[in-house]
Amino acid sequence: MANPAPASTRGLAITEHRLANGLRVVLSEDHLTPVTAVCLWYDVGSRHEVKGRTGLAHLFEHLMFQGSANVSNNGHFELVQGAGGSLNGTTSFERTNYFETMPAHQLELALWLEADRMGSLLAALDETSMENQRDVVKNERRQRYDNVPYGTAFEKLTALSFPDPHPYHHTPIGSMADLDAATLEDARTFFRTYYAPNNAVLAIVGDLDPQQTIAWVERYFGTIPAHNGKQPPRDGTLPDTLGREIRELVEEDVPSRALMAAYRLPHDGTREADAADLALTILGSGESSRLYNRLVRRDRTAVAAGFGLLRLAGAPSLGWLDVKASAGATTDQIQTAVDEELARFAAEGPTAEELERAQAQIEREWLDRLTTVAGRADELCRYAVLFGDPGLVNQALTKVLDVTAEEVQALAAARLHPDNRAVLVYEPTTTDAHEETAE
Amino acid sequence: MTTPAMTFHPQPQPGTPTPWAFPAPRRATLGNGITVLHCHRPGQQLVAVDLVLDAPLAAEPDGLDGVAAILARALNEGTDTLTAEEFAGELERAGATLDAHADHPAIRVSLEVPASRLERGLTLLGDALRTPALPADEIDRLRANRLDEITHEQANPARRAAKALYATLFDSADRLSRPRSGTTETVQRIDRDAVKAFYDQHIRPDTTTAVVVGDLTGIDLTTLLETTLGTWRTNPATPHTHAPVTADDTGRVVIVDRPGSVQTQLLIGRIGPDRHDPTWSAQILGTYCLGGTLTSRLDRVLREEKGYTYGVRAFAQPLRSAADRSGRALLAISGSVDTANTAPALADTWTILRTLAAEGLTDAEREEAVQFLVGVAPLKYETAGSVAATLADQVEQDLPDDFQADVYRQLAELDTDTATRAVVAAFPPDRLVTVLVGDASVIAEPVKELGIGDVTVITN
Repeated sequence: MANPAPASTRGLAITEHRLANGLRVVLSEDHLTPVTAVCLWYDVGSRHEVKGRTGLAHLFEHLMFQGSANVSNNGHFELVQGAGGSLNGTTSFERTNYFETMPAHQLELALWLEADRMGSLLAALDETSMENQRDVVKNERRQRYDNVPYGTAFEKLTALSFPDPHPYHHTPIGSMADLDAATLEDARTFFRTYYAPNNAVLAIVGDLDPQQTIAWVERYFGTIPAHNGKQPPRDGTLPDTLGREIRELVEEDVPSRALMAAYRLPHDGTREADAADLALTILGSGESSRLYNRLVRRDRTAVAAGFGLLRLAGAPSLGWLDVKASAGATTDQIQTAVDEELARFAAEGPTAEELERAQAQIEREWLDRLTTVAGRADELCRYAVLFGDPGLVNQALTKVLDVTAEEVQALAAARLHPDNRAVLVYEPTTTDAHEETAE
Repeated sequence: MTTPAMTFHPQPQPGTPTPWAFPAPRRATLGNGITVLHCHRPGQQLVAVDLVLDAPLAAEPDGLDGVAAILARALNEGTDTLTAEEFAGELERAGATLDAHADHPAIRVSLEVPASRLERGLTLLGDALRTPALPADEIDRLRANRLDEITHEQANPARRAAKALYATLFDSADRLSRPRSGTTETVQRIDRDAVKAFYDQHIRPDTTTAVVVGDLTGIDLTTLLETTLGTWRTNPATPHTHAPVTADDTGRVVIVDRPGSVQTQLLIGRIGPDRHDPTWSAQILGTYCLGGTLTSRLDRVLREEKGYTYGVRAFAQPLRSAADRSGRALLAISGSVDTANTAPALADTWTILRTLAAEGLTDAEREEAVQFLVGVAPLKYETAGSVAATLADQVEQDLPDDFQADVYRQLAELDTDTATRAVVAAFPPDRLVTVLVGDASVIAEPVKELGIGDVTVITN
């Protein structure tokens, strides 16, 4: 039976512009809802940080909300929300993004705000903001990583996968010691080095008038001076595979045993990365995946089993395996089953039905990302910053759907084996399961 | 070093707003009694189908807490013609997701599927409701998974705080007092027979509502629904009624000991007006000013001045609602603060509440909150899924279809005093139950000295 494709493959109509100061601008019109998304990607992430200053890119992202020459402390939040917009910023290994989604008639305000901080943040940045946001970020670290079971697994596996001093060895949140060590002068230098119009891409998507929008962008961003002080990130070149298995045993107060692993995979933007996406979807995404069926349904050794792709452009991508054990099951049992499934998959490749299901899932996820103007603006920035061409967004899905079963199998055979992974084994320190009493 | 400066321009003024209103759904009834609400949203290629099944947790048999949750999960586990694995495969082949969960008012089932495959998605959904296999071996597995999940919940500070707050606020005879998905003791008793009996007794088409939202261009929805969900036929059901909600909000503190915690999870709550109360809109507005965002009163101090937290929020969450206005919402302040600053953060919270009661909100605060709450609506309801969820909430809570649209009209007209009165009534400093999940050996003594109520330390 045919599997009719959704209308997701309809391309986005985009136009590209470049200001004299180097700022790249991407516009995409869509008048269905009276909202407009502004997304600004700076080509700087935690991979640009140096030893002793991990977490600085993310801490700096917080400081971007603490006011600039014409915007008061917290004024950015107050003005955007007071205009009926929503906003935030995020920091990853490879980039820092800032976004506002506005009612369409408030677009100009978002552009004015982004330009003000791009051009004049240091006019407002002071010790009070620095000390306050240092504490906030330390509490963010506690809340998201240190005070939750398995919370530091991501950090540990990343460190194992990218040995020191690789630029991706540490994660964007940074260490407590480095957060404590960061100075106001570090923040100022960081801004002067990386926050320049020629190191950014601005995407604007939604209910907009292109001519008017470009005129506003010229007016507000056009006089911000370009700056070329940026050094490229440290070399992230690594062999395609780890060459051996790296293991770490973690004995902590966690609720159950767990087996987690990171496999070294092809760089984002390659056809092989798309093959990896399909392979991991078939193996470990959703309740019809091979690992779910084997571990959760049949062996009943796991409560949850998933395999996901962390796409990276400047270093090998990572395939994340995360299995939480059922009471009584051992991580050895789980690992044996995982290895059997991966070996079988590498030997036989996907069935036609599996490939079709994986394509449909990836298609749905893609549709989901593009369903909002903010999601579209973020994807346009991603393709512009990481791959130099926002228009690639219109080919992304077609490229995944074009990958063959043979390519998926070849990828699995080359990469999804024990000698190409870092493994984290969790053993709870308290073995007696918690006794619950009815209250 | 001289840097050429940028040219500054005055802050721009807004253009002319495009009128927007919360979408009005159309209603229909299928031959088998299913009530349908549908709403065409151009461009939304992912169609959302939200079902409200009249199977409240209060209807669970004594001692079988969690049977509704297991049933909800088991709806995904195959039909008379498809095994559990085949059913999951068919859903994924359609690019669909199907999620179901049981909450106090109802079981909710949510399907998302690309419009081009809506028929396949609805067929699978219809089969799951009409002839769920509820296989004994899969139910055994779901029970075992749920027991494992309880262990994980115990390790999660936010989940433990919620469990402790519900247990202390509500009478132990009220289903609200106990975890939605059951405890170790009750879940152990759940088997295929119990799940099937709960299904037979409560899951019926004539007490089911289906909300369908998305780009429905070229789709004959009535025919499509009749040939899918409409083929489900059973005897009629009697709709459930909801018991009034009452709670003991005597000011007190419950510390759930979690030795070694680097942060304390706060959950400070009581019950108050739900969406049937005429003060609901004012309460939304006032609660936003108290703790809706990082520029609200709580975060302005706790985060942006003191750095005690990554963020604290105040909110209202309906528990059980009924048109006779006997329902209530949980009103709460939630967040986490570093262990050493637990008592100082609580002291500041009480100061903020007392100042709010003494001085009220400012006009500027009210204005900014209204601009946000009303202005953000087109954005909040950009996707089909968000519109469908709100319409389904309205059905579940026995509200009229134009309720949310009316909230936006009311918000725009509220004055500052009305918003102040609502939020002060919602969060009276001496009628709040404080749950703290954290290291009792560090936090208990300083918290006792705050005078915000008697302190009890529990270890489970």
